Amino acid sequence: MAEAEKIEVRDITRIERIGAHSHIRGLGLDDVLEARAVSQGMVGQKDARRAAGVVVQMVREGKIAGRCILLAGEPSTGKTAIAVGMAQALGTETPFTSMSGSEIYSLEMSKTEALSQALRKSIGVRIKEETEIIEGEVVEIQIERPATGTGQKVGKVTLKTTEMETNYDLGNKIIECFMKEKIQAGDVITIDKASGKVNKLGRSFTRARDYDATGAQTRFVQCPEGELQKRKEVVHTVTLHEIDVINSRTHGFLALFSGDTGEIKQEVRDQINNKVLEWREEGKAEINPGVLFIDEVHMLDIECFSFLNRALESDMAPVVVMATNRGITRIRGTNYRSPHGIPIDLLDRMIIIRTVPYSEKEVKEILKIRCEEEDCIMHPDALTILTRIATDTSLRYAIQLITTANLVCRRRKATEVNTEDVKKVYSLFLDENRSSKILKEYQDDYMFSEINEHEELETAAGGSGGAKRRTETGGGDAQPMEH
Amino acid sequence: MSYQNWLNYLQSAEKNSMISGRLRKVLYKFPDGKQMAEEYNMDTGIVQRRAWRKCKQLMGEPEWEVELGEEPKQLNWGGNKDKGADADSATGEEFTVRESNTAPLLTKRVTKKNIEWRIRNMPYPLTVYNVKADAEKHAIVVSTSNRKYYKVIYVPDLDRCGLPPVQANITIHHQFNTLIITYRKPDILCELDAQVLMLLKNVDTETDMDDLMKSLLAK
Repeated sequence: MAEAEKIEVRDITRIERIGAHSHIRGLGLDDVLEARAVSQGMVGQKDARRAAGVVVQMVREGKIAGRCILLAGEPSTGKTAIAVGMAQALGTETPFTSMSGSEIYSLEMSKTEALSQALRKSIGVRIKEETEIIEGEVVEIQIERPATGTGQKVGKVTLKTTEMETNYDLGNKIIECFMKEKIQAGDVITIDKASGKVNKLGRSFTRARDYDATGAQTRFVQCPEGELQKRKEVVHTVTLHEIDVINSRTHGFLALFSGDTGEIKQEVRDQINNKVLEWREEGKAEINPGVLFIDEVHMLDIECFSFLNRALESDMAPVVVMATNRGITRIRGTNYRSPHGIPIDLLDRMIIIRTVPYSEKEVKEILKIRCEEEDCIMHPDALTILTRIATDTSLRYAIQLITTANLVCRRRKATEVNTEDVKKVYSLFLDENRSSKILKEYQDDYMFSEINEHEELETAAGGSGGAKRRTETGGGDAQPMEH
Repeated sequence: MSYQNWLNYLQSAEKNSMISGRLRKVLYKFPDGKQMAEEYNMDTGIVQRRAWRKCKQLMGEPEWEVELGEEPKQLNWGGNKDKGADADSATGEEFTVRESNTAPLLTKRVTKKNIEWRIRNMPYPLTVYNVKADAEKHAIVVSTSNRKYYKVIYVPDLDRCGLPPVQANITIHHQFNTLIITYRKPDILCELDAQVLMLLKNVDTETDMDDLMKSLLAK
């Protein structure tokens, strides 16, 4: 069942665009949490993966609140990949929130509000509730738009079961849902009366011969029996944040979809915490703690860290996974330096997983997986060259070259990428090293070169290694925050 | 007696009562969080309306569910009333889905001897309907041979006495686009009604109910 679902999801992503970590389907561990060399899109990094597997087990058992895990390692050693792998291994039932450290700097929300929303998004609550749903086959659907194009739409739909048939008037919001789901006559749908959610179950068997060809994803279902309106006990999995939003607004459920949540009062949150605990005692609800993943955690500042210190101690806290690629650096918002840019007291509460750079063989394996993911057939020689490029420059750069080389190859109407294609794109696109070399050479010809000179003097005085210094200032977090 | 459970349940509730016009309204607050409101006609001692409010979990304020009598919002039900109005005033009448005003509409009524259901907007002749007492489901099932209407009607009144519905007590009648199903009350149900009235006698109201109750029970 789960397998079938995964395949379906993959089919959709095929048509859509391909993300950087789309090839990862899990952590690639066996039953005893031993890491397989190449599995589920993960390569190498055995120790880190095994550690992540233990964390996943910890989350699944759900007993421990407020644990904090830090993934530390050099750039492009698979920190985010491990986090994505954890998310996949946990499955869709466990909430997994992924955010970047810089996301909290929003003008509309305070930093701590953004963080507490993220924390609450990562706690799931499974609630059993009786709701009224309408389930039936669409006989006829009419949506009238006013001629001017704006204003109220009027919608009518006729639904039937094997026993009965009824006309319904549709409200404005639900018309949008109908259009989004592309519902037409012959579809079997359910409508949740309270929330107005429309769900397409499939097409009715009686309409199976309407078209000669149907898409692979078309499911045929029986026309429902009995009454159109039914009371059903459904199990919702919602996050604490969603419950917050529903209760802080008069709009109810629909505010969730508009995304405009704003700040939520602490009193509302306290009330909800109490209510949820009450439900749990009554057996109506089950708390399902998940994972909050904060990438680039060094971008958080000292206020956030002290907030996290406190927030992690509450019994409603999720497991927090953080990732950073910094060594000993300044804590944002202060002048103090600390390992990973994280205060020692928070580091003390963490367990740290280290990722190590990939070996050449592993790099080749990753590139091979990426080629498959991007539907690119590559000649073994070209792959060897690409691996070489990856070890000399960076893995990310080599992955970029896959797509571009594939395009070049298609332009000469070939199906397999060969060494020439890779060489061509290597000369067309510069990697970071070559680009900075050129910059150094032709410094004076660029605009505002005198400022750069001044900065270079400073770095020389600082005496630290050139490359390292550059990444630090490049991150823009060396300056203390102004208040 | 099998209705004792129900009587105990009513007894456990915190009850409030008031009189408006010829109606006595009673609000029950049960210890399990449910609420029930009833309206008694003071002339006949018959329940005209009964509604339940169960605590809901997610969606803020719970709504009243009408078990008996007409739904109050039916008065301004007129589906496309907001057509002429401008967009601003129309937003006040937001709804997600509702049955169109030509769809069959079920209401329940209780009289001294009978329980009555009226299904309005039912244009088909009497021969089409098939009304059956389903003892297993504890319900009366209405179906139509043209497959236009189907409804499982639960009868909480009978459940409270622990009785299944009996086919022999059902009579149906069709008139003015309305299907009327009448179920003759069994004796034990009448007895229960009388007991409930006795119970309510002890609930304080602004006006004295004593004389009224006495005359009703004497009948």
